[in-house]
Amino acid sequence: MTPNVVILCAAGMLVSAYLMVGQKSLFTTIRLYGLQSLLLATVAVAMAISDARPHLFVMATMTTLLKGVAIPLFLMRVVDRIGIHREIEPFLNVPASLLACLGLTVVGYRVSTGFPEGTVGVTHHVLGIGLSTLMIGLFLMVTRKKAISQVLALLTVENAIFLIALGITSGMPLVVELGIFFDVILAVLVLGILVRRIVDRFESMDVSRLSKLKG
Amino acid sequence: MVHDVLLALAGALLQTIGLLAAAPLLRGAIKKMKATMQLRKGPPLLQGYYDLAKLFRKETVRSETASWVYVLGPRIYFGAAVAATTLVPVLVATSPLEGAGGILGLVGILALGRFALAIAALDTGSPFGGMGSSREMTIAALAEPALMLGLFTAALAAGSLDLGAVVRGGLVPGALFRPSDILALSGLFVVLIAETGRIPVDNPATHLELTMIHEAMLLEYAGPDLALVEWASALKELLYITLLIDLFIPLGIATAIAATPLAVAVAAWVAKVFVFAVVITLVETTNAKLRLFRVPELVAVSLGLGFIALAIRFL
Repeated sequence: MTPNVVILCAAGMLVSAYLMVGQKSLFTTIRLYGLQSLLLATVAVAMAISDARPHLFVMATMTTLLKGVAIPLFLMRVVDRIGIHREIEPFLNVPASLLACLGLTVVGYRVSTGFPEGTVGVTHHVLGIGLSTLMIGLFLMVTRKKAISQVLALLTVENAIFLIALGITSGMPLVVELGIFFDVILAVLVLGILVRRIVDRFESMDVSRLSKLKG
Repeated sequence: MVHDVLLALAGALLQTIGLLAAAPLLRGAIKKMKATMQLRKGPPLLQGYYDLAKLFRKETVRSETASWVYVLGPRIYFGAAVAATTLVPVLVATSPLEGAGGILGLVGILALGRFALAIAALDTGSPFGGMGSSREMTIAALAEPALMLGLFTAALAAGSLDLGAVVRGGLVPGALFRPSDILALSGLFVVLIAETGRIPVDNPATHLELTMIHEAMLLEYAGPDLALVEWASALKELLYITLLIDLFIPLGIATAIAATPLAVAVAAWVAKVFVFAVVITLVETTNAKLRLFRVPELVAVSLGLGFIALAIRFL
């Protein structure tokens, strides 16, 4: 039962990453990130039950509350406040990005077989999905123009790393995971402020304008 | 031997009649749920049947410029949808005419129906018909490979292109879920939305010709011709949902022909179709229709998901 839940939710995370690549509305992307975090929390709960790792319950709760609810709400507020054009303008068009992500997924899956734990069963799939999501996140980060969508890509990468950590380690110490959470919150807050500064200065969230000279 | 053949034919006949009878109800149920979610009253649940009865009683009106292609289109479309139902297992874990064709046969038959309707819409020379055909084909050109990739992913697990064998493969106890199943399911769900003309892709309730895709092909039709197309479209929708159920959640389907398993299978099938109807309703009410040029991007996502589902089976 639990392996099925783990695989179901992990694959759901990959699907949500694909949907992030495939559509352009900023709000939907934020909601997809929230959904992805909730799926991650479900994976953590399933693993906590099956491997008897009670501290994962704490992680799952925090993932749900922070990454599933608080961060999406915060980001939506930022978008609302600065009242920007609510469409993502990628450097690459959607079909080309999708093709690139297909390639990245294949690479991620192929690489996952190289891990000693990654050759069989559930771990193989979790690792493969984690690595693929990680690379899709990195790809999103370099191909999106808007600062907010780059923040979302960074958060996706963080989710993917969390998933990989769940898959191959028998659980990081609680202190380390709490530290990571704290980092994520700080990163989002700082980036939220940074986004507002960029918008103030350039009247746009398009980070490609940052490289132009301004007199 | 003869007994087997007769049984298969009886099964095919019963299943087709059952699906034909249930199809308008599914549409009615989705419409009703959608209306409820929008705080409207909505048409009665059985409106689909009333509409069909009304249309069948009307006389046939055809454009003066229409040729036999126009007359034949709806009939082939309807025939193809009916033929496709005999290849899909619904209540019993074997399709009624299993020897007649597997996944490729199913995709081919559905494509034939679509082709007939598209060419019939072109026949009268009405601009909207041609526009509808061209749009339908633009989407179908992407949706069809996505459908095939999703179906192949499931077929690969079963090692057979027969839908009956795929369903039986899914029933093996302890079968481990694979990520490719989820990817294929997501891809096929987008195909379901695109092929049945549901909201992010097409609006089934639209009266604005310029936004129509599927409906634009039917503008010229009236009376029994229109009834055939409407009925076949409803049947196709039920068929796609049943197909997704067969491939990914076959639990509860009957493996033997006896009273109890069949009763369980009927209950399970109705429940699963209802769940899909609820999900479709939610998608329809929470999404806005995509701009036409965005639709290929959405369908390309499903194509990508289908491809990746197939690819990671080998990794």
